[in-house]
Amino acid sequence: MASVHESLYFNPMLTNGVVHANVFGVRDWVTPHKMALLVLLSELGRAGAQLGLLERRRLNRLLLPLLQGPDMALSRLRKAIEECCPHLARSVHIRLKLMAEGELKDMEQFFDDLSDSFSGTEPEVHKTSVVGLFLRHMILAYNKLSFSQVYKLYTALQQYFQKDEKKDGADENEMELTNPEELDGKMEKEELDGPLREEEIACSGPLSQKQAEYFLSQQASLLKNDETKALAPASLQKELNNLLKFNPDFAEAHYLSYLNSLRVQDVFSSTHSLLHYFDRLILTGAESKSNGDEGYGRSLRYAALNLAALHCRFGHYQQAELALQEAIRIAQESNDHVCLQHCLSWLYILEQKIFDSCVLLEHSVNKSLHFGLPYLASLGIQSLVQQRAFAGKAANKLMDALKDSDLLHWKHSLSELIDISIAQKTAIWRLYGRSTMALQQAQTLLSMNSLEAVNVGVQQNNTESFAVVLCHLAELHAEQGYFAAASEILKHLKERFPPNSQHAQLWMLFDQKIQFERAMNDGRFHVADSLVAGITALNSIEGVYRKAIVLKAQNQMSEAHKLLQKLLIHCQKIKNTEMVIRVLLSIAELYWRSSCHIIALPVLLQALALAREYSLQYLASETVLNLAFSQLILGIPEQALNILHMAIEPVLAHGAMLDKGCAMFLVAKCQVASAASYTPEKKIEALESAISNLNEAKTYFAKVDCKEQLRDVLYFQARLFHTLGKTQERNKCAMLFRQLHQELPAHGVPLINAFK
Amino acid sequence: AVIGRAGAMAAAASMVAAAGGGDFSDLREIKKQLLSVAERSRERGLQHSGKWAAELAFALEPLPLSELPPPPVLTEEDARDLDAYTLAKSYFDLKEYDRAAYFLQGCKSQKAYFLYMYSRYLSGEKKKDDETVDSLGPLEKGQVKNEALRELRVELSKKHKAQELDGFGLYLYGVVLRKLDLVKEAIDVFVEAAHVLPLHWGAWLELCNLITDKEMLKFLSLPDTWMKEFFLAHIYTELQLIEEALQKYQSLIDAGFSKSTYIISQIAVAYHNIRDIDKALSIFNELRKQDPYRIENMDTFSNLLYVRSMKPELSYLAHNLCEIDKYRVETCCVIGNYYSLRSQHEKAALYFQRALKLNPRYLGAWTLMGHEYMEMKNTSAAIQAYRHAIEVNKRDYRAWYGLGQTYEILKMPFYCLYYYRRAHQLRPNDSRMLVALGECYEKLNQLVEAKKCYWRAYAVGDVEKMALVKLAKLHEQLNESEQAAQCYIKYIQDIYSCGEVVEHLEVSTAFRYLAQYYFKCKLWDEASACAQKCCAFNDTREEGKALLRQILQLRNQGETSSTDVAAPFFLPASLSANNTPTRRVSPLNLSSVTP
Repeated sequence: MASVHESLYFNPMLTNGVVHANVFGVRDWVTPHKMALLVLLSELGRAGAQLGLLERRRLNRLLLPLLQGPDMALSRLRKAIEECCPHLARSVHIRLKLMAEGELKDMEQFFDDLSDSFSGTEPEVHKTSVVGLFLRHMILAYNKLSFSQVYKLYTALQQYFQKDEKKDGADENEMELTNPEELDGKMEKEELDGPLREEEIACSGPLSQKQAEYFLSQQASLLKNDETKALAPASLQKELNNLLKFNPDFAEAHYLSYLNSLRVQDVFSSTHSLLHYFDRLILTGAESKSNGDEGYGRSLRYAALNLAALHCRFGHYQQAELALQEAIRIAQESNDHVCLQHCLSWLYILEQKIFDSCVLLEHSVNKSLHFGLPYLASLGIQSLVQQRAFAGKAANKLMDALKDSDLLHWKHSLSELIDISIAQKTAIWRLYGRSTMALQQAQTLLSMNSLEAVNVGVQQNNTESFAVVLCHLAELHAEQGYFAAASEILKHLKERFPPNSQHAQLWMLFDQKIQFERAMNDGRFHVADSLVAGITALNSIEGVYRKAIVLKAQNQMSEAHKLLQKLLIHCQKIKNTEMVIRVLLSIAELYWRSSCHIIALPVLLQALALAREYSLQYLASETVLNLAFSQLILGIPEQALNILHMAIEPVLAHGAMLDKGCAMFLVAKCQVASAASYTPEKKIEALESAISNLNEAKTYFAKVDCKEQLRDVLYFQARLFHTLGKTQERNKCAMLFRQLHQELPAHGVPLINAFK
Repeated sequence: AVIGRAGAMAAAASMVAAAGGGDFSDLREIKKQLLSVAERSRERGLQHSGKWAAELAFALEPLPLSELPPPPVLTEEDARDLDAYTLAKSYFDLKEYDRAAYFLQGCKSQKAYFLYMYSRYLSGEKKKDDETVDSLGPLEKGQVKNEALRELRVELSKKHKAQELDGFGLYLYGVVLRKLDLVKEAIDVFVEAAHVLPLHWGAWLELCNLITDKEMLKFLSLPDTWMKEFFLAHIYTELQLIEEALQKYQSLIDAGFSKSTYIISQIAVAYHNIRDIDKALSIFNELRKQDPYRIENMDTFSNLLYVRSMKPELSYLAHNLCEIDKYRVETCCVIGNYYSLRSQHEKAALYFQRALKLNPRYLGAWTLMGHEYMEMKNTSAAIQAYRHAIEVNKRDYRAWYGLGQTYEILKMPFYCLYYYRRAHQLRPNDSRMLVALGECYEKLNQLVEAKKCYWRAYAVGDVEKMALVKLAKLHEQLNESEQAAQCYIKYIQDIYSCGEVVEHLEVSTAFRYLAQYYFKCKLWDEASACAQKCCAFNDTREEGKALLRQILQLRNQGETSSTDVAAPFFLPASLSANNTPTRRVSPLNLSSVTP
């Protein structure tokens, strides 16, 4: 079949080295499949009023994909029509049969009659409708055919029809029993035909330009929005190669091939495809532009820019910079401000990799707004917000900026940016330690109907913002002790973003972090240690930090301290404030574990100051808890209680379960310690309230399954009951304690001295 | 069928036995084999193979009557098919392939069967070409297909399985497979064909086109006959392993093929490939004397004349060829080159286009057309032409290089790096690509990379002798005066050892720098020698004189130096003995990623 198609096929973009114009002005050509569609249309017109409303609607819905899609075998087409209207399918078949088994003049007559549908006072088909355009295209293409081509078309039609007939016959034959000899012959034939047939399936005839364009745009949008739904990289490449074989000038196919190679992280073939694309584009660009030189100059600039983007994506920053310089120079020479803006944004991205400066970015945002590039502008605003958030700028201003850019997005319906904006808000709220707000934003994005969903027919987009939001969601749930829910979310992530896809690294990191936390809670340090390697692979800083935590938990204080000091210096250099504070907290903990509370205090104060400055509220409260604990140990529990009041509220509101439990435990400890100086009545009251706080802590710990902490609480509670003389309760607590104590190995650190 | 098969096998077996061993001791035997295979090829309509064998046979001593090979023995089957075969062969010769195939239907003898299949194949090819020319000028491959191929493949593969194909049949099967892009299978079949009938040059030639690198060549199990030597020499030329190829050809000439025009032309092409222009030119001239009406390879000859700007010779060649046959690809190409040399680029492009019309697969024309468009400053058309050339043959380094040049002209030095790198990969030992790469790196201010490129270009043998000067200037820029001086010295040695002083400008700058360098180092003798040399050039004369005066002054102040004047250090005779530049060819390790 394919071979017949090919000889019929004539490429509208001829190549004799110079002229690539659309020689015939035809972007489409007649194939047997198209003729079958024409027959269907004319039958549809003839059946007209007899069709039921439902059938008519079904047929109309069928038509568009048929007109746009690739050619298919007659049997498949017939089946598709049969599903809508069996009656019509039969009549189409009969018409085709008459034409195929008749003479050449039947076909000629058919095409002559086609144009009738436009004539008359009340034409069946409107000239500018989709169907009308298709009909006119076909008539035009048919009229352009030379004598021999017409004849070829007719033989192709005959083969197209006969193949279908034969298939029907074969199906029937299979039912019958054939004698062994015949079977042998058949087998042999099949064997020989085997590889051929496979090829035939692979290349189901050349796509027409329109079909190819449709295919490319569909795949490209799928690649962007939902990678899993697009064709697998290998098969997509195969399709593209096939497409290029028949039409090597189809530049866009090269571009898609570039995107496809990016998907599998193939530097070589992606560079190759990208450059090939622009080599091809240069010519088409030159023609499409009336003002001569301008056309391909433009594509040159963007070629260099795209090359820069490619190198940046593969982490070749130096190469990217060189390419970018080139793009900027050419753009400047030709006064292309729009291109310059794009360059500027990329320049910012590149500079960011080396050192952060927001001067460039501010400039870029201003200019982009000036040149009316909303996409670029709000992308700039978003990265600016991100940077400012890390730099500790006032939160209200940031949120204001995001709101402004949101306005811009909705105005221009940039749905992709809306998603990013919400994801960013989620992340910022989490950074500030407002888990409820983060949760709310995450849910907003997930339950929002995307604007693009309407267009593509995809339920949800698999973009990076969704991955980010889902990851945060998983972590939030894990923090609250809903491990089942968290693992459910992760499972969903795994399905939506298969391990080798672009954004898979995100969930991999979060998955391991959650597992790490659980292992630490359970006291399975060796498991946590084994996870560190995985985390380091995905995020080195996080990995080092976790390694230090494991060392600390295993009581290897000096190693942990060394590691943390190194990390601290590094993080201060790259200005990762969040990590700096966390490292400071860990160092402080190391100090008080070694009973050097005096040394821990300044470290904690430094952490507190930083956290306040960068409005990282949650870290601040955690620091306060640490501070209070140090004060408790230093023998000023009243003071500790005082500052605890500051921290307890945010912790209870936004904190993780474990932190809540620790906080309540600490409160109880402080209450008991300060009660020592009280009068007996007051003391009893204080102890009672401490017991109730301990109960609360107990429920928190139970939720996240922290047995060690639970045991400590029980011990403490038993002691309190003992002091109050409540023997029964005391015994109950003691019994529970003993159960846990038998399960767990003895703790190295004295109970009271531990805060976490 | 059994008898015929056995007969063919026996004939083939005897031939293999006779041809065995890679030695050329028995030239008479070889001549006999060549004559017989030429006859057999002709009988089957394989004209090119026949021509090749006949040409080679012509180069050997004539045989006496008694030793002439006997006419091939006719079998029973041959006799039965004789009438049909005779009729069909005459139709075949008149290019009426379908008609020939029709009358050969049902013929059982090997010869008739081959002609049957071959005419069906050619009929498909002819129709394909007709369709291409008829409608739309040179179309891309794959758009129009030979429709007979699939049927032929099915039938031939059946025969192949039953082992009923002789050497020619296997060759045809291989051709069909190759046309269907089944390269791996095709290679296997061609190897088999070469084993069964090693004398058939066509099978070897097809094999040459399918083998893309040395590794592939290593893993082929080829029959050990004297034909293999020809094959190896040919494929070494194709794979740009020129040294090896030249060796092989030399040994073939020594073995007694000194008169073969085929070998002479191949040697000329090989010299052309390594840019040894003078040798190539003289060999081509010799070839034209021996074979004045030859058109093959004349495009290469014209390229050489073009490079040397030998206008009258090129003009004579163009007119001569035009008289012989103006509708040949080579002729068009020569005329295109002629116009290009006369700076009539539009006309040149026109003739290259005509060459492409005559043979859309003629690779060189695309590249040359690209060059013409470049001359006309039509960069976009040039890019297109080069891209087409690459599509026809991915290994065409000139097209990659041309693309690089185009982008360099468009002032995109980073962008063109990719193209130059591709060209360099294909011709790792060609200094032009390396110099181009170095220039790009220099423009990008990546001086370390640029230095590497220039040094490497010098190390692999610089054609244009510019690498060292450029390297020296780089060192100058980086204030590495020691190395810069070294480079200049080497450069001067190089120039003088060639015996021709072409570029005065660069030589004078070299001397000027050296004079100043020695002056700074207070090596008065050397400095004054260099300064004197400077005086020989217009642009540095004044400077040289001034320097000489200064030196004299300073010398008079200081102690009188030793008067024995050693031989000037820069002359090759004195220095080549003790200071041969170490041409270490280390792997070129550019830090940048090289996709």
